[in-house]
Amino acid sequence: MAANNESSAAVYELPLPAGPPAAAGEADGHARLPETLLLKNVLWFCHLRWAVVAILGTFGLLGLFPQVLAHVGLRPTADWPLVAAGILVAGNLAFSGHARLLKESGVPRYAHINLWGQIVFDLVVLTGVVHYAGSLETNITFAYLFHIVLACIFLSGTESLAVTLIACVLYMAVLAAEDAGLVAPQTLFAGAPPRLPIAAEPWIPIWNLALALFIWLAVWYLTSHLAAMVRARDEELGETNRRLEAALEERSRHMLRTTHELKAPFAAIHATTQLLLDGQCGPLPDEARAFVQRISTRCRRLANEIQEMVQLANLRSESQGTLPHAALDVAEILRGCIGQVKPLAEERKVIIEADLAQARTVGVEEHLKMLFANLLGNAVGYSYEGGRVRVRCRPGEGGGPEVVIEDHGIGIPADKLPRVFDEYYRTDEAVRHNKQSSGLGLAIVRHVAEEHGIRIRVESCPGAGTTFHLRLAVEREPSEPDSENKENHDGLRADCR
Amino acid sequence: MAYVLIVDDDEDFAAAAAKALAIAGHEVRVELDTASATKSMDARRPDLIILDVMFPENASAGFELARFIKHEKPGLKDVPILMLTAVNVKFPLGFGTGDADDVWMPVSDFIEKPVDLNVLQKRVAALLRAAAK
Repeated sequence: MAANNESSAAVYELPLPAGPPAAAGEADGHARLPETLLLKNVLWFCHLRWAVVAILGTFGLLGLFPQVLAHVGLRPTADWPLVAAGILVAGNLAFSGHARLLKESGVPRYAHINLWGQIVFDLVVLTGVVHYAGSLETNITFAYLFHIVLACIFLSGTESLAVTLIACVLYMAVLAAEDAGLVAPQTLFAGAPPRLPIAAEPWIPIWNLALALFIWLAVWYLTSHLAAMVRARDEELGETNRRLEAALEERSRHMLRTTHELKAPFAAIHATTQLLLDGQCGPLPDEARAFVQRISTRCRRLANEIQEMVQLANLRSESQGTLPHAALDVAEILRGCIGQVKPLAEERKVIIEADLAQARTVGVEEHLKMLFANLLGNAVGYSYEGGRVRVRCRPGEGGGPEVVIEDHGIGIPADKLPRVFDEYYRTDEAVRHNKQSSGLGLAIVRHVAEEHGIRIRVESCPGAGTTFHLRLAVEREPSEPDSENKENHDGLRADCR
Repeated sequence: MAYVLIVDDDEDFAAAAAKALAIAGHEVRVELDTASATKSMDARRPDLIILDVMFPENASAGFELARFIKHEKPGLKDVPILMLTAVNVKFPLGFGTGDADDVWMPVSDFIEKPVDLNVLQKRVAALLRAAAK
């Protein structure tokens, strides 16, 4: 609907939702790794280079004992391994220092440049080593493959191809320089025959070179293709995870909003009926008063039922693995929940006595709040007027918190105890005593207990009261659930004393 | 007699709560959104604010207003805030008395809807007494 105005009309166009993110299979995986991950690889690359320095250094030191090398068919190495090791040490210190600076700055946007610098630096040093070790006489040219493979993993397909081509160019350059006499061909092997000029027997070096280049390019193609597939899969999983997290958050918000929208009208009806019942809008005839009382009671019960139905539906649809487990102080949670049921306790003139010692566990905070709020609400709701509810919390023998919630209310008959955790189950006595309950509170407790491996034992005697004993998991990393509680996942027990 | 400002988008509930507090001897003003509540507070400093959490314009507008009052309005910093809401600690993202703190939920007390009007009158009286000390 647009409002017309003589000077200008206000226009509003409903924005379409943003297009869906890349669906499964659409992620191409050709992008390089994110900078934060690249920075980790940069540091790892530097660590790896120390191993190469150690190998070259050891080989250089062996060169001090020519007779040892001659014994295994090698020529004296002169100084080149030590010089190469020295250059690598200097380069490695510079690259790792730069990487640490990037890490400390928290802005690793130059990690990519650092990595490229390291690759080019390594390829140049490697070309020197290839020359001295024997560019045609040894298989050392395969060392270029390390860099080609690593480039395929760290960089995009195009960049890794560039690394492959640089390696090809450097290798061809060293062969050309040796053939042109700019540098004399070298070899590690004492018994190697002198190299003939390429012009004398061109096909052997040409095929050797072609074979090496073909192998490098084949390795580049296979590795970059596999790396792209892995990266694409990784992107898909990351996207799926982001969507799941967003959906979880959205559902929680939606549930809050739905509950609010459903409960708020009942709150208004309840408050209005109270004004009428309290005579604050004038006296009501007895019959009218009785009907308003019915409205008030049903209204409150409906509000409670809506809340618990939404809550239970939410619990059912959640899987434990998706929820944030945290280290929690059960005493602190109980304090909050006691505050929550305080208005109901005041209304029913029930006194809550709390004896709470710090006891830590691991779990989903909101779910544990639900569990305790429901148990405390029941204890107050099924107490007699003026009764007492005792809440105790202590670290148990095994270290996990032990909680006891005890009331002196109507109690539960022995034959009905095993059913109290069923959805919508209420004993006749409970229905008569507390019309507000939906029969879902203990079903919610059961769901949370099963999810957290909480053992619950119920003791009850009709007319004397009910005691819930809870044993929670000891505080550990969320990935290591308490083994005993894990074994007793269905650890809900109902006893009658 | 105290001047109590009720900020709640539910007009029916606000009217009933205002009536109950008026009967208890307080002067009451109702504002149905947080923007008009801010103007009202600037015009006259309330002795106590009763504040809902969720408003149509923003699901956490009540929290934001409470933080604004406590952190941005030096003249209103000491006014007690009684928070009312239909969602509670039993829900994921829900909250209760134990969650009140100066940063996230800077309120003096918290009541869940549906609220007993007698309880509301008592809590208001207790908060006013504490504020007067």
